[in-house]
Amino acid sequence: MTAASRQFRALLLKDLRLELRTRQTAIAMVLFAVVAMMAFQFGFGFRVDDTTPLAGGILWATLALTAVLGVGRSFVPEREQRVLDGLLLAPVSRNLLLVARAASVFVYLVVVEVITVPLVTVFFVQDPAATDFALIAVVCVAANFGISILGSLLAAMAVFSRARELLLPVLFLPALLPVIIASAGATHAVLGVSNDMPEYQGYVLFLLVYAVIFALVAYATYDHVFDD
Amino acid sequence: MIEAEGLVRRFDARAALNGLSLTLDAGEVLALIGPNGAGKTTLLRVIAGLLRPDEGAIAVGGHEYPDKRQAARPLIGYLGHDPLVYLDLTAAQNLEFYADLYGAPTDRVLSGLERVGLLARAYDPVRTFSRGMVQRLALARLMMHDPRLLLLDEPFAGLDAAGTELLESVLRDLGDTRGVVLVTHDMAIAARHATRVVGLRAGAVAFEALGPVGHEELVQRYSEVIS
Repeated sequence: MTAASRQFRALLLKDLRLELRTRQTAIAMVLFAVVAMMAFQFGFGFRVDDTTPLAGGILWATLALTAVLGVGRSFVPEREQRVLDGLLLAPVSRNLLLVARAASVFVYLVVVEVITVPLVTVFFVQDPAATDFALIAVVCVAANFGISILGSLLAAMAVFSRARELLLPVLFLPALLPVIIASAGATHAVLGVSNDMPEYQGYVLFLLVYAVIFALVAYATYDHVFDD
Repeated sequence: MIEAEGLVRRFDARAALNGLSLTLDAGEVLALIGPNGAGKTTLLRVIAGLLRPDEGAIAVGGHEYPDKRQAARPLIGYLGHDPLVYLDLTAAQNLEFYADLYGAPTDRVLSGLERVGLLARAYDPVRTFSRGMVQRLALARLMMHDPRLLLLDEPFAGLDAAGTELLESVLRDLGDTRGVVLVTHDMAIAARHATRVVGLRAGAVAFEALGPVGHEELVQRYSEVIS
């Protein structure tokens, strides 16, 4: 195992151990997502005969808001327990800190999606097909890359700000709009009876390009985020 | 081991370091004394690479900041006001985490805990520890990667008599290959361990005493700095 992979494993394992012990991030995200789904269901689920065309939008609006919640909590242990200096003193590449933090956010998002995607199909999709889940899983993975990288970058920037609770959603949500649009579009393209694969593939490609662009932005800037 | 020249660090308009120059060789224990706000902690954080000086140059172990700061990090062990451990992880998990970050052997985890008297609590969450126990764990974290330069900012705070003796034994057994910068308000400790004492006032060196310095002389110099 190389030094970098050992450091990555330690950083990710630390985040997951903290989450398993405190259950303050992933559980909160799941609860928030489920409550948001129910709010959508009560909001217009009973008034519309077929909510299948809305399902993609509902899913990804919910996941985007849930991601803001999760990303906002991602530096809480370091901030509240004043351990950030411990990370910054260690001979760890700043980009590795970003990748490890993005990986833990990615895991939290997967946990949320494992629960919310079936819920959306139950609440909002008429006649869901088994293949829908596989196709939506691909959308989730592609979207999660961009969400977790961008979210980790912005969370690191916000952690040094006094107005971090305000700053993060104000910066993060607008930057997530392309992800919401593309993910909802890809989901809509394959949910229910519709099966527009070219449109689906185009949106998934867009999500991957989005992730690559923000990975490059993060690579170029993350070192300076932590530089005094 | 440390070469700092003309360090200036401002917080808003106030200069916490004001043209400070300092060197440290291997085998030296440098005690930094001075009143609150003299710039001791700021200096330690600049040496540790946690703060960037506004002016001046600094190199640790021959690695100039900021370009070679990453290369200097494995050389440095920093014990500041915060223990830098996760309260919701166990003591062993915390040390394992730092061992992985620094590339240290993981068999040092239990031996480190044994050395600081926490082996029986290795698998308890740090949240259940007393302040003194957390400080002992911080000491084990500090030594995990066998650093060549120890930056200690009031490290005896919160330690009981046994913990104090433990830390003093670490300072006694450093050998000729390591250097220490020790910030303390305890003149007796400075007199016992320091090979050189530097008094700071308003971010600059107010006095420097070479060689082992007697307790009474230190108290006298310290009161002069404060006044």
